[in-house]
Amino acid sequence: MSFDKIRDPRKIRHQIGDMECDYIYTAGVAGERFYIALRDEEKLLATRCEKCNITFMPPRLYCDNCFTELASFMEVPSKGVIESYTITYFDRDGQALPEPEILAFVKIDKTDGGLIHRIGEIKPESLKIGSKVTAVFEAKKERKGALTDIKYFKPA
Amino acid sequence: MNIRKRVAVIGAGITLYRRRLKESGKELSFYAANMALESAGMSRNEIDSVVMGTAPDAFDGIHMKSENLLDGAGATQKPYTHVYVGGGTGVFAPIGGWWHIASGMHDTCLVVCEEKMSPCFPHPQTAFRSIWDPIISRPLNPNLVWIFALEMHRYMKVHGIPKEHIAQVAVKNKGNALDHPSAQLAAKITVDDVLNSEIMVYPVNRLDISPPSDGAAALILASEDVARKYTDAPVWLDGVGWSLDSAYWTNRDLYFPQYVAKAAKMAYKMAKINDPPQEVSFAEPYDPFTYKELHHMEGLLLAEKGQAPKLTVEGVTARDGDLPICPSGGLLGVGNPIAAAGLMKCCEAFWQLRDEAGKRQVPKAETGVCQAWGDLMQVGTVCVFKRDS
Ligand SMILES: [Zn+2]
Repeated sequence: MSFDKIRDPRKIRHQIGDMECDYIYTAGVAGERFYIALRDEEKLLATRCEKCNITFMPPRLYCDNCFTELASFMEVPSKGVIESYTITYFDRDGQALPEPEILAFVKIDKTDGGLIHRIGEIKPESLKIGSKVTAVFEAKKERKGALTDIKYFKPA
Repeated sequence: MNIRKRVAVIGAGITLYRRRLKESGKELSFYAANMALESAGMSRNEIDSVVMGTAPDAFDGIHMKSENLLDGAGATQKPYTHVYVGGGTGVFAPIGGWWHIASGMHDTCLVVCEEKMSPCFPHPQTAFRSIWDPIISRPLNPNLVWIFALEMHRYMKVHGIPKEHIAQVAVKNKGNALDHPSAQLAAKITVDDVLNSEIMVYPVNRLDISPPSDGAAALILASEDVARKYTDAPVWLDGVGWSLDSAYWTNRDLYFPQYVAKAAKMAYKMAKINDPPQEVSFAEPYDPFTYKELHHMEGLLLAEKGQAPKLTVEGVTARDGDLPICPSGGLLGVGNPIAAAGLMKCCEAFWQLRDEAGKRQVPKAETGVCQAWGDLMQVGTVCVFKRDS
């Protein structure tokens, strides 16, 4: 009843297939504002619900607590505090990375949220949870209106 | 059957339906859910649970997209369930909501359906490429249109139905959609326009098919005692039914959807409807293709087998006819963001049964039936709604 001794699935009757869709994802109304400000002005935009006293980063079009539409966008500092970090030594396929990569959850100042991003210009052994970091932007002509328009965060 | 609470609908909401919308799936969900809450005069903290319905994740291109949509659907930190039966999902989601209330578990449930098909390239059809059995069917490179063309042709042959009669469904539904503020493909067209449009896959012409769409819709369900606190005009969800056949669609006669009939009988029995054509005042059967409206009218036992085309040609199913069918404009006119298209039909029933359908209002709307269909021609989902009396 079992094929579990067969290591090569092509040795049994089979059909080759794939799931071949490609995607062009829509940033959304809030995402459009956020990424254009990032690209054109090196600014982080947030939305704020005054009623619930929540500042959303990344910005959302609505407060998911009281469910009101949030129409106004405000600039917040492009810096924050490392809430947690990890250091990755291997890629997804198990290959050793040429340089270990530091990934952190950066809580953005004056907001109730944050961004997951790379940390640069620091040795892993000097990292601390609670350290202040600031965003380093790509050169203007390289920016595409995406999260990677921030190259990484560096010690502030 | 032990139903603890009678279930009411007390609010409905819908976005625009378009080929491509700027809003993200979360944002679409928010607009529909928020409109439903506002129409019920409720805030999010009065909602006990949320049910989300979406068709394949492969449209939005986000695996487990219901989790991605959660905050937009108003479900943050609430009991949240995702239901899915392919194209039948839009009428299944309110059944999922009904379970929560009818069981006595919750007093209120927000039901949201979303589909954003525009991210999928080269065409949303591509997402259907992998729904087939990989061994039996996929070697022939099937697509949905030619599979359904086989069903359509069989239906036409068994009853001797001319294509002109089927084309009338597109004329009616696209015309009805002229009065729907969300509509994507409302148009005044003629039977000749349908017959002269490109043959996509014989016997399906371009105007026989609904479009891919982005959109979201929402309903608010409440138990009877709680519903009365919010409104004097609740609409009752008095019958629910669903039935699924096997994926071996080649092992049944395609001319009649038995599984839809089973689902309909289940819902009618619950709603105490004995003579559907007499007791149902209007219906919103699933119409992704012209012939499907007719096929489903017969599955819903609203017409004798093979008689739905005749009723359509005679004007019985027009908005001012004796049995209005798809007064909303249906998927052919309003659009087809799959799960949201099914729920749009339930929103229409709510508005019709509250006399809030504006120019789309059908006279003497007392009982409305909504139905959706999908997967490999194997899913039937049915809801029966009644006016408060
Ligand atoms: Zn709020």
